[in-house]
Amino acid sequence: MKDDQILSVGIDLGTSTTQLVLSRLTIKNFASAFSVPRINISKKEVIYKSDIIFTPLSTQTEIDANAIKRFVANQYQKAGIDKQDIQMGAVIITGETARKQNSSAVTQALSGYAGDFVVATAGPDLESIIAGKGAGTNLLAKEHRKNIVNMDIGGGTSNLGLFSDEDIIDTACFDVGGRLIKVTPKEHRITYISPKVKELISSLELNIQEEMIVTADELKPIINCLVQVLENSIGLGTKSPYFDTFITNHPLHPENRIDGVTFSGGVADCLNETMPADEFRYGDIGLLLGSGVRNSLIFKEKTVYPSIETIRATVVGAGSHTTDVTGSTIAYTDGILPLRNLPILKIAQSDELLESEDLSEKISEKISWYQVENELNNVAIALVGKHSPSFDDVQRYAAGIVKGAQVLIAKHEPLIIMIHEDMAKALGHSMFARLPAHYPFVCIDSVKVENGDYIDIGEPIAGGEVLPVIVKTLVFG
Amino acid sequence: MNEEDLKTMIEGILTDMTSGKGSSEKKAISNTQGSNIASGTTAGSVASGEVLDDITKIDLRKQFLVPHPHDREGYLKIKSFTPARLGMWRAGCRYKTASVLRFRADHAAAQDAVFSDVDPNLPKEMGFLETQTTCTSKDEYLTRPDYGRKFSDEMVAKIKNGVTPNPKIQMIVGDGLSSAAIEANVKDIIPAIQQGLKVYNLGFETKDVIFVKYARVGAEDQIGEITNADVVCMLVGERPGLVTAKSMSAYIAYKPKIGMPEANRTVVSNIHDGGLPAVEAGAYIAEMLDKMLRLKKSGIDLKAAENAGN
Repeated sequence: MKDDQILSVGIDLGTSTTQLVLSRLTIKNFASAFSVPRINISKKEVIYKSDIIFTPLSTQTEIDANAIKRFVANQYQKAGIDKQDIQMGAVIITGETARKQNSSAVTQALSGYAGDFVVATAGPDLESIIAGKGAGTNLLAKEHRKNIVNMDIGGGTSNLGLFSDEDIIDTACFDVGGRLIKVTPKEHRITYISPKVKELISSLELNIQEEMIVTADELKPIINCLVQVLENSIGLGTKSPYFDTFITNHPLHPENRIDGVTFSGGVADCLNETMPADEFRYGDIGLLLGSGVRNSLIFKEKTVYPSIETIRATVVGAGSHTTDVTGSTIAYTDGILPLRNLPILKIAQSDELLESEDLSEKISEKISWYQVENELNNVAIALVGKHSPSFDDVQRYAAGIVKGAQVLIAKHEPLIIMIHEDMAKALGHSMFARLPAHYPFVCIDSVKVENGDYIDIGEPIAGGEVLPVIVKTLVFG
Repeated sequence: MNEEDLKTMIEGILTDMTSGKGSSEKKAISNTQGSNIASGTTAGSVASGEVLDDITKIDLRKQFLVPHPHDREGYLKIKSFTPARLGMWRAGCRYKTASVLRFRADHAAAQDAVFSDVDPNLPKEMGFLETQTTCTSKDEYLTRPDYGRKFSDEMVAKIKNGVTPNPKIQMIVGDGLSSAAIEANVKDIIPAIQQGLKVYNLGFETKDVIFVKYARVGAEDQIGEITNADVVCMLVGERPGLVTAKSMSAYIAYKPKIGMPEANRTVVSNIHDGGLPAVEAGAYIAEMLDKMLRLKKSGIDLKAAENAGN
């Protein structure tokens, strides 16, 4: 096999900025020429970084879909790339923008436009993971063998991703960002205050509201409070009474040790010890917040490591670090790929040990959970499998799966099986023997997924030996 | 701890100290046994019914004998990537006893794999056709590789009469240098290959599988000529090492002939529970067999054809 390449696009629609990167992923067979292939992504290169624009809004709450479309088209042209060339990718709608009503419509418009296999995803957990990977925190955690948390402080939210030895172990998200308050650059007249900051202002009994002209000093109590929330978020300082208010979905689990910190997001470029002369240069509180963080307990009590990407961390993560490849011995039938947005149905590991009859019951029971108002959409059935299984083990799995998935087979939905241990090809063959003739199926291994994840499976690469996959921890919409 | 407990404890210590030599000696012996490195000669006076722990059950990737490591986790991380015996604390002629014993145990397992025969019931249970090369003993097999590639006229006739002629696929199981590898993998890999072949509308009967005693890889060439098979696939035990004695390989060739270049063989190696699992290897081999039948090539020629096709 010769080295293969995938062109991948990442588009990040953030609360404040929108950007795009194009990455080239090189797929390489690491095994010697006469061994069973061992195919992995060997290189991830960002080949094009777009301009960073403010996310175009048609009103304070609505994204301007057409402007985004024009931006993407324009950047493809600048990069000299045809949209047909793009094989994988992710559109990530992040921060506050993700919660605005119309953003799913924007995503859809973009998804149809931006290449054939571009997926619209979002959600604070996924954003935390990809921002951390884009910032290179996972590599630092591996190199130093420390638990390092990346704090991606953007316009509307701060996404925390805690890595231990390259693996993500926890995520969190807070409604703390540089554009929670927007001001006009010259006059410093407030044009926007986020709802949660409004709450904070009223409980602090401050006299700050939209349309007022403010100074940095007047905003100081608010900044201090936001910084304290960020300190609290990694277990530092005394707990702010407003900590819970600013949690987007959930905080980090306190039992995990945190040795070091990296920063990304727009505010990571504003971590100045002394305030620049024009503190409202960007028309927001980013510089104030950055300086607050720079002088906070985080810098005093934790090791702060430099990150690879700051403001581009999320988009680089989306473009380069969302795609993975399956194991190199797999089985699938032709003509059913790509498959998108399949929810993962994970079988409990204790159930996997059951005899095929009981296993099939557990599987069909779980499949029925996905039946909504008698509508059944396809699912990807995920199992852990067995290390070095016997032939009988494989038969038991295959019989249990095929019987348990009868309801899907009756609807002629392609059967999608993901197994963690290296046994997908044998399992696929065993399923083939039990399925109706020419029944479409995909059986892949070496991809880790959990309940609640969604997966996209791309068209075969590397001469058909492996499939590219994107595991999405949360799908927006 | 209250006063009463303290009193009991001191009493206990005093009793131990004054109760004489006998009991302390006994303690010393049981301690040595507990630590896995007891030597039979010194403790020989006491015969206990206990069985020593099996030292080969210790996972070498996790055994770490450095007493005060600067970075234990870091060292264990390095060890997790290799089966090499790292972190054994002493090197050269001064290995620790535990390391020496383990090394000798692994070496013995490797020797056993070479010198013992495949369980004679295995080919019978599976229903294979049993054959033997011109070697008459293990010693001859080890010292005369050329004898391990040839069959006597009598054996040629047995093969001819015993299996279906002109098959698309001829399967062979040879003991090779590790009978342990055959015993560990054959029962799982044969049905996995058969099942995989069904995907490609191919197959073979288990009764047509030829079992070869004292087999070298080259034996498949003569079988190729005898049976006139399109593709011959030989599963053979690999020369054992200290990591595993159960590694098997498949040597597959399109229309093999005696004297053909070795480069025309395709190899799937490292089939064992710590490498490529037997069932997954079987599935992969099935796909390879189909590919060879379609492209009418094996070995380097097959690689070249595949690359040209890309």
